[in-house]
Amino acid sequence: MTQSHAPIKPRSPAREAWRRFKRDRVAVVCLALFSFYALTAGSAQVVELFQEGTKLYDMTLAEQGIDVAETATAPSSVHWQAWWGTTSAGKSVLLRVFHGTKVAFVVGLCGAGLSVLIGMTLGLLAGFFGRKVDLAVQYLYQTVASIPYLLLLLALAFVVRQGPVAAAYNEFSVGGLYLSEYLSLGLFNIIVVIGLTSWVTLCRLVRAETMKVRELDYVQAARSLGMGELRIMFRHVLPNVFHLVIINFSLRFVTAIKSEVILTFLGVGVDKEPSWGQMIADAKNELMRGIWWPLLASGVALFGLTLAVNYVGDALRDALDPRLKD
Amino acid sequence: MTGYVLKRILQAIPVLLGVAFITLVLFDVAGGDPCLIKLGKNPSEIEVQMCHDELGLDLSLPEQYVRFLGQIVTFDFGESWSHDTPVREIFARGIGPTLSLSVPAFLIGSFIAVILALLVSFYRASLLDRVVTAGAIAGISVSSLIYILVGQWLLADQWKLFPVWGYEYGFGAVTFVALPILIWVALSVGTDVRYFRTVALEEIGQDYVRTARAKGISENAVLFKHVLKNCSVPIITRMTIIVPFLITGSFLMEIFFGIPGLGSTLYTAVTNSDLPVVKALTMLGATLYVIFNIIADVLYATLDPRIRLQ
Repeated sequence: MTQSHAPIKPRSPAREAWRRFKRDRVAVVCLALFSFYALTAGSAQVVELFQEGTKLYDMTLAEQGIDVAETATAPSSVHWQAWWGTTSAGKSVLLRVFHGTKVAFVVGLCGAGLSVLIGMTLGLLAGFFGRKVDLAVQYLYQTVASIPYLLLLLALAFVVRQGPVAAAYNEFSVGGLYLSEYLSLGLFNIIVVIGLTSWVTLCRLVRAETMKVRELDYVQAARSLGMGELRIMFRHVLPNVFHLVIINFSLRFVTAIKSEVILTFLGVGVDKEPSWGQMIADAKNELMRGIWWPLLASGVALFGLTLAVNYVGDALRDALDPRLKD
Repeated sequence: MTGYVLKRILQAIPVLLGVAFITLVLFDVAGGDPCLIKLGKNPSEIEVQMCHDELGLDLSLPEQYVRFLGQIVTFDFGESWSHDTPVREIFARGIGPTLSLSVPAFLIGSFIAVILALLVSFYRASLLDRVVTAGAIAGISVSSLIYILVGQWLLADQWKLFPVWGYEYGFGAVTFVALPILIWVALSVGTDVRYFRTVALEEIGQDYVRTARAKGISENAVLFKHVLKNCSVPIITRMTIIVPFLITGSFLMEIFFGIPGLGSTLYTAVTNSDLPVVKALTMLGATLYVIFNIIADVLYATLDPRIRLQ
């Protein structure tokens, strides 16, 4: 009997990583949970785009003619908007948590995106070019890292809200579309502040890894073929340090969402739309009056997303960088 | 060694100069006119001009910078705008309450975390390990505000085990800081356990552990004498790096529980745009951070003879 052998296809690194990731079943569940959150955020965005006038989450249930008390009501089955109860202002907790998911994703994706972009670029430049560039980048991150994190966050948050930065935000437009119509100042503020303060860790890691990679044979080979420095940096070095960027992105995503809660609580965060941070901040007064459901709903929503991303982040680290596995 | 320390101190100077520059630009330039903040609503033009002269705002940026550096070197940041007391005095008053909260919380938290981490890495992959690591990741996924809110509401407001708010100087402080300490420990243990577990696992895989066991040493002695001793280097350096944050304090804890420390001072100063206080605290925090980083590196080399400083 002759056996025909199918040619063995080499697995791509991404496929290999996915194979390793899949082995951790909890991680797969967490990834599913994360996707559920992402879908929720997406639908909240769609709902918002198609709603005109006063948003439903900003109307009290009594205003809409639903037969509930004007102030906080405990979760009830009177109307779907009251399933998770109403806030002390009489608005639907369910709808506000739903919309808060969108805010969390905007903060998480944009904040982490900005931070990772800065950290990656500076780290690559420093590690690849060395010498003066490296010295300059090292100096920059040492300086930023020396300023106490929360202080920098708070101080920047106050500064960005007023003065020239806010003015630039108000006037920024692309082809007649104003940024301020799509992103409230509070959100913009948080994203900028988080992006500018949290890039140092990734920058350090990418710099160190780039320094190793640039000495490898294939980089020398690319150079001897006459490739330009920038092309080598982006096409050959970047893909080999990119796993660090992905892992760090998941970490920054969580930090960004958690910082939103703290900044909003301190009064320098999201203001024009409902966010989890706002609901948690309001709970300070609500709890003392026995109104626990807004805190429970927003707290659990935040917990689920953070847990999912934290766990997926750990599993990603193990899958993408097997040397780090304990 | 002396050469190394000197070199590091020399390197720290430009970093601190950079921090001073960022602070100055952040508050005096990017933040709008500080005089409008200081003088409140509708000041007269003359008042604004006097204030500008006093703060040197009409000077060029380099001149302002030199002036600010002078303030830093003499640690004379002038008077707080909201209290009319010298910044130095505000510091002296705040440091006690802050330390009475942060130091015990940090020591208790680290102690629990180290013991837990040693245990779970020793019984690796057991039920205990899985419960603790799962608990740690769940613990770090809860927002710190929720720990504080729920802790304060349940333990102080509902069960009346602790006072809700306030502070007393001297021994009376114990009753007021007990609950914040408890919450702080709960908050930090998750992160610490995860870090120390990685450290301990690395050590437990080493050859000397197998050798010790082969010699017939009891498991307790292996764990606490051999493994702990070798883990102590990263543990101690990590603790050293945290010291500056203990001094500047946790502003969330201090605001919530009404503890008049540096953390809440900083928060009120930022919200009231009390710039002299904010600038002074920024410089203090940054200087401490730089100093303790140098100490950590030196300790690392002193404790672990395999590491050579260059």
